[in-house]
Amino acid sequence: MSRGASLNPIPAQAGIGLRLPHHAQVLAERPAAAWLEVHPENYMADRHSLRELELIRAHYPLSLHAVGLSLGSAHGVDPAHIGRVHQLAERLDPALVSDHLSWSVAGGQYLPDLLPLPYTDEALRVVCRNVEQVQEALGRQILVENPSTYLRFAASAIPEAEFLAAVARRTGCGVLFDVNNIYVSATNQRLDPAAELAAWCRVLDGPMVGEIHLAGHAVVQTAAGAELRIDDHGDHVCAAVWALYEQALAHLGPRPTLLEWDTRVPAFAVLQAEAALAQSRLDAVQERAYACAV
Amino acid sequence: MPAPSELALASLQARMAAALLASDADGQALPEALFAGAHAGAAGLRVHRNTVLGALSNALRLSFVAVDRLVGEAFFDRMAVEYARAMPPRAPQLDEYGAGFAAFVTGFPGTEGLPYLGELAQFDWQFAELARDRPALETGGPMLLLDGGVRLQFLAPLRLHGARYPVDRLREAILAEDAVALGALELTPGDYRYALWRTPEGVRVRPLRLPSSRFLAAVYAGAGGAEALAAAAGEAGTVAAVAEILAQEILPAGFVRVGA
Repeated sequence: MSRGASLNPIPAQAGIGLRLPHHAQVLAERPAAAWLEVHPENYMADRHSLRELELIRAHYPLSLHAVGLSLGSAHGVDPAHIGRVHQLAERLDPALVSDHLSWSVAGGQYLPDLLPLPYTDEALRVVCRNVEQVQEALGRQILVENPSTYLRFAASAIPEAEFLAAVARRTGCGVLFDVNNIYVSATNQRLDPAAELAAWCRVLDGPMVGEIHLAGHAVVQTAAGAELRIDDHGDHVCAAVWALYEQALAHLGPRPTLLEWDTRVPAFAVLQAEAALAQSRLDAVQERAYACAV
Repeated sequence: MPAPSELALASLQARMAAALLASDADGQALPEALFAGAHAGAAGLRVHRNTVLGALSNALRLSFVAVDRLVGEAFFDRMAVEYARAMPPRAPQLDEYGAGFAAFVTGFPGTEGLPYLGELAQFDWQFAELARDRPALETGGPMLLLDGGVRLQFLAPLRLHGARYPVDRLREAILAEDAVALGALELTPGDYRYALWRTPEGVRVRPLRLPSSRFLAAVYAGAGGAEALAAAAGEAGTVAAVAEILAQEILPAGFVRVGA
């Protein structure tokens, strides 16, 4: 299944997550950014912001990163929400459409979080069925992102990387590989992040990965006094995650990489500087590949 | 009966959703046997509960800005979390979440000294809904032909709103943090009417007297000129007196263009 036939494809460069506070500046100044990504749910009811996004989109490649499809819901994906995403995709011609390996709808109630799945055969069947339903309705491939996790189910029998790779193989979807989430999940489970990332790289082949995400996270104390990392997208990418990103690029090769910042959103220039740090690592990988080729 | 770790996915998700929205400790707990991570399952559930309720509270705060400013962040969060538990959203576009919040906060325990809180929330909601709209097109509303060939072209959408308190001045003073204006407000119940509309610069509001409100309601219901004027005059008024009020209140408001 094709990733879509956008007239403006996403390059293997560092893009920026566009949030509403930056609309006016991006419209007025057209600041440099290789590409932009937005949450479609922010534009479904807000016709004013959607109009602004249409104007912005004329100047930047665009990716739609959904948070509400609930691909892991046992009762299936809401066709009305697929319809809303489809309508936006028709209007905005995004090069990529993605959501998460998680659930957020149960009993018709929407819980605004990326809730974890037990990695079981039943959950694998559910996710594959839902991804296929979304891809069929949208008429395009989607990417599915590994989430940050704060708890692990006793029933989980399949490692997360193998679970997501199986979803990709069975449905033809791609993988949105979130390196910060690998770090957050691994440290929260007292695992070695580098070893975890290596395990992911053994399972993911390069073409499977359509995009990489990077973000900052918070560190809090649990009631029991233990350290817990929270994927709040509210800070700079930490040094350990940059190291994991370099490890991922060495295995996967250059991939479109997005800098996400959703809470305490800073000035756009800060996001540009953060994207430049990712771009320098992408450039280094491309230069090494070129040197090997010649 | 299946062991906790063998719960079917649908059942697990239903139980987890209920645990995340529960307010009491018993309802929030799930059997630890379900979990096998480095932290207790309860610690992970607490992270997700904070995320869910925090996101819903923030979504409501963005729509009910004056209410938030009036009662303060902590009290607003209390109201918002109780509302979220009672009426969680049914869809992911959270901009549209909160249609029932004004009714919910009316008479909320602890707000006895703020009898206008629910009406202020309704007014906030009108602003929030209009702010999400595209600016009205100049030719988008009804057109009215009056005697003498005068033509009134209205913008769309125009909203008419009624309240028992002067919520326009109340909201303005709260958002401006103008304690003097707030203290000087006469907050006795009455009959207040407003027109609200969207411009490229933002949402505009204009207070109206009863005849203007009746006139606009008739126009937007599809009435012709004479019919709308008669509706504005009501039982006791005269068309001439009403016409003067309309000329003062409606023509300069900015939501109608006069042509011949």
